Amino acid sequence: MLQKGLCVDCGACVGICPYFKSHAGKIAMLFSCNLPQGRCHAHCPKVELDLERITQATFGKPYDGSPLGHYSEIKKARAGARLQGRGRFQNGGSVTALIAFALKSETIAAAALTGSLGLTPVPVLATSEAEVIACAGTKYMAAPSVASVNDYLRSGIGNLGVVGTPCQIAAVAQARLNPLNKPGFRDVVALTIGLFCTWAVDTRSFGALVGDKTDACAVTAMDVPPPPASVMEITTTSASYAIPLDEIRKTIPGGCAICPDMTAELADVSVGAMEGEPTWNTLIIRSARGAALVEQAVRGGYLELADLPLASQENLARGAAGKKKRALLKAREDRLLNVDPASGRSAMLIDDSVVQRILAG
Amino acid sequence: MSQLHRAQKGSRHLLMGNEAIVRGALEAGVNVAAGYPGTPSSEIIETLAELATELNLYVEWSVNEKVALEVAAAASFAGLNALAVMKQPGLNVAADFLMQLSATGTRGPMVLIAADDPGALSSVNEGESRPYAKLMEIPLLEPGDFQEAMDMTRWAFELSGAIGNVVLLRTVTRLSHASGNVVFHELPERESVAQFQYAAGGGPLLSLPVKARHEQQQEKLRQAVALFEDSPFNTYSGPDNPEALIITSSICTLYSREAVEILGLTERVGILKLGTTWPLPNKLVERHLARADKILIVEEVRPFLEDEIKALAAESAARIGIKSFYGKRQGLMSSVGEMNPDKVVQALSHVLGLPLPNTESPYEKRVTEIAIEGAPNREGTFCAGCPHRASFWSINTALSMDNRGGFVCGDIGCYSLAATPAGFTTIKTLHSMGSGTGIASGFGKLGQFGMDQPAIAVCGDSTFFHSVLPPLINAIHNQSNLILVVLDNDGTAMTGFQPHPGSPVNAMGGGVVKVDIPAICRALGAEVVLGDPFDVEGTRRTFLKMLERTGVQVLVLRQPCALSPEKKGKKAYDMAVDEQACLGASCGCNRLCTRVFSCPGLVWDEKANHSRIDEVMCTGCGVCASICPVGAIGMKEFA
Repeated sequence: MLQKGLCVDCGACVGICPYFKSHAGKIAMLFSCNLPQGRCHAHCPKVELDLERITQATFGKPYDGSPLGHYSEIKKARAGARLQGRGRFQNGGSVTALIAFALKSETIAAAALTGSLGLTPVPVLATSEAEVIACAGTKYMAAPSVASVNDYLRSGIGNLGVVGTPCQIAAVAQARLNPLNKPGFRDVVALTIGLFCTWAVDTRSFGALVGDKTDACAVTAMDVPPPPASVMEITTTSASYAIPLDEIRKTIPGGCAICPDMTAELADVSVGAMEGEPTWNTLIIRSARGAALVEQAVRGGYLELADLPLASQENLARGAAGKKKRALLKAREDRLLNVDPASGRSAMLIDDSVVQRILAG
Repeated sequence: MSQLHRAQKGSRHLLMGNEAIVRGALEAGVNVAAGYPGTPSSEIIETLAELATELNLYVEWSVNEKVALEVAAAASFAGLNALAVMKQPGLNVAADFLMQLSATGTRGPMVLIAADDPGALSSVNEGESRPYAKLMEIPLLEPGDFQEAMDMTRWAFELSGAIGNVVLLRTVTRLSHASGNVVFHELPERESVAQFQYAAGGGPLLSLPVKARHEQQQEKLRQAVALFEDSPFNTYSGPDNPEALIITSSICTLYSREAVEILGLTERVGILKLGTTWPLPNKLVERHLARADKILIVEEVRPFLEDEIKALAAESAARIGIKSFYGKRQGLMSSVGEMNPDKVVQALSHVLGLPLPNTESPYEKRVTEIAIEGAPNREGTFCAGCPHRASFWSINTALSMDNRGGFVCGDIGCYSLAATPAGFTTIKTLHSMGSGTGIASGFGKLGQFGMDQPAIAVCGDSTFFHSVLPPLINAIHNQSNLILVVLDNDGTAMTGFQPHPGSPVNAMGGGVVKVDIPAICRALGAEVVLGDPFDVEGTRRTFLKMLERTGVQVLVLRQPCALSPEKKGKKAYDMAVDEQACLGASCGCNRLCTRVFSCPGLVWDEKANHSRIDEVMCTGCGVCASICPVGAIGMKEFA
């Protein structure tokens, strides 16, 4: 996986054993480990991710290749009155609101989030509202956030909330299955909030790109405005800069190109931007516990919901379907999809009929 | 050691080859000796240093071999008896000065001892000193046994005094480090006065005018050859007209004699043993070549003697006839590795068309079988508690985490082992003293060609002074990008803790100026960071930060060698593995402590399925406690 350049630095293998470390946006294997199998592979979202198995285990339903995965409802949302004006939210602040409420309501005891150290994203295990608010804002860079989930799993304390990109949520979903039947395992994950993601960027290359324009440590916000703009806007304490997306794309890790998931289909709730309304989010409610949390958060004044126009839903589904199709074509071209085990290992396993459906879509 | 300068003429002693050389130098009246440590030569200067005060000698460990030769030359220029000592690679370092020295000539007798290491038992090459004699046009002597090691050293001073030029005496590991009987001669009365006669009585020492000096130099060689023709160090043993003649020198003399005895050929094969191997005494060699038609040359590594003898035989062909030569040129004997009696037996059997004797006894056969079946595979490794293991752990893991393909340019010292699994194969280039920094200086300038791999150099404290300063200055001046890690373990540890310019004492035990490595680097303009290699997490963090920066940076990791006199036998921590906490085979670490970190102080208890501390081996450095991912290795400070 590392040799094929598929690593997206999700952190799934970090903290399980002493061989893997994340630094400056990349996973490094420190020494060769000759064990025949390990959780590093079993949890990795880029090694034989069996979408049928993981979808069944998460939702009790098959993986059908639909653009947005399984869900019960799609709404637009933003942080409620209790959180308004308290953080520098990327869009509506819905993720911050949901996690803050989950902590307040003791649905979770801690949350595995992604904070920043300068420009570099770092895993954060938050237990207070202030810590959650401090993590608000899109990082755009690959971050080893699942590492703190691994730390927490080992602690044995229950009720962890996880916020992550699709690959990170997939890694957590796999870890929750205890695929190697480790004795004494306990699933401590009480909530998963997925983030919409079209790609992430490599920390070091992106840092160099930003560093060419300004002091990377002075960056206060980043945003990719919707088309036709084709730039990333970088805001610092004193100015703002635009970096062409073409340059940004050069820093995207190879693993993102084969990712078929735009909306974190294995999460309880998925959250992303909303086209045309930058102070709102798109919210996809997937599981019963996700639905319950959203309902309680609204009641508690942490979240505000409204209907999402059908046209927006259709646009979102179109974008997600496009990503799926591109990913499968690329994975097939690179011999990473449904590979004969005798000739190599797959990054993904998807039933052939589902592959055909996605490609035909 | 007292026997070396107190025992009287005629007494017999069991001496190591290097001790025999020392006695020879004492019998010659040596006044000044200088060298740089290097196996197998180190005991010569060490032994002389012990005797220095009592005998009014001046003995020093110089900063490097070139300076050692210069220091010794100064003594010669002042009319004293001078000795310079080094291992073969050191001769390469000293070669530039040697070329000039051999042209100006010497005043007082001066001997240069070079110790070769055929088979590279303790070296990173099996370089040869013999060709230097030819290149520098100075006489070459090679002792063939322990008595000769002493006698020939004494005579080398005499020869140098007679011809007025430096004499090269070459020894090898198996002579320097083995022991044999030596009968002593007289020690001289010691009264020496030093004065450099640059006006009357000598004039300045210059290689100019070059042609005239060169002619003088070659005349000195002709004088040497005249003495070689009658030298007692060239001997023949065997029948008057043997079926085959072995021509050999150095320790190969003993191997040749043994082979002839094993094959029972003392009446059929003659041995011409040469002690004066360059320039060859033509008449003597021609006389012996005439004895036989088949000539077998027995020597180690390259066919130096073979080439010289063949050239001589060609010139003499009209008088002695055409000979059949056997040796390395046609592949009968190997040009690499050490010689031994078995190899000579095989070659001699081939020359005489004899069946190979069955030398393998049932006992030897069984020993070999048992060794193959039962003996564990033991690779070279750092000692228990060696700071280098900890340093390379931090450097290696930081370079992996940095993920840009960074690498280490190695250097010469115990830490050269980091090119092997003992140091996690962190070192990717390994050449000569100081070359790691020079190479890294070059790598650090390749950014304009798209190279973004961080280049790291490592060196020991002694190597830093020996030859790292010029490449470090080069890197700073040329604005290269590199990190130099000075693995400062407080002495020239690999060769036996000889002092160096960073030490507060000199070879003779006297107080001297201690030169400060970080201060030098700062003064040169490098960014300098100090660290303790035993703090592996801290060192890794520091190193990762340094990797983010550009320019020339120096990280000095200071921790005395585990075997240093100040540490030996003293444990800082009482280490113990918590048997409950160690998860054994079920830990995801896959025995990181004993499979990868592999300190000999840690052992894997197969039956109990956990690691444990080997109380005897463990030095209590505490490093393994920070390696274990579940914290099963505990450390308790000794009260």
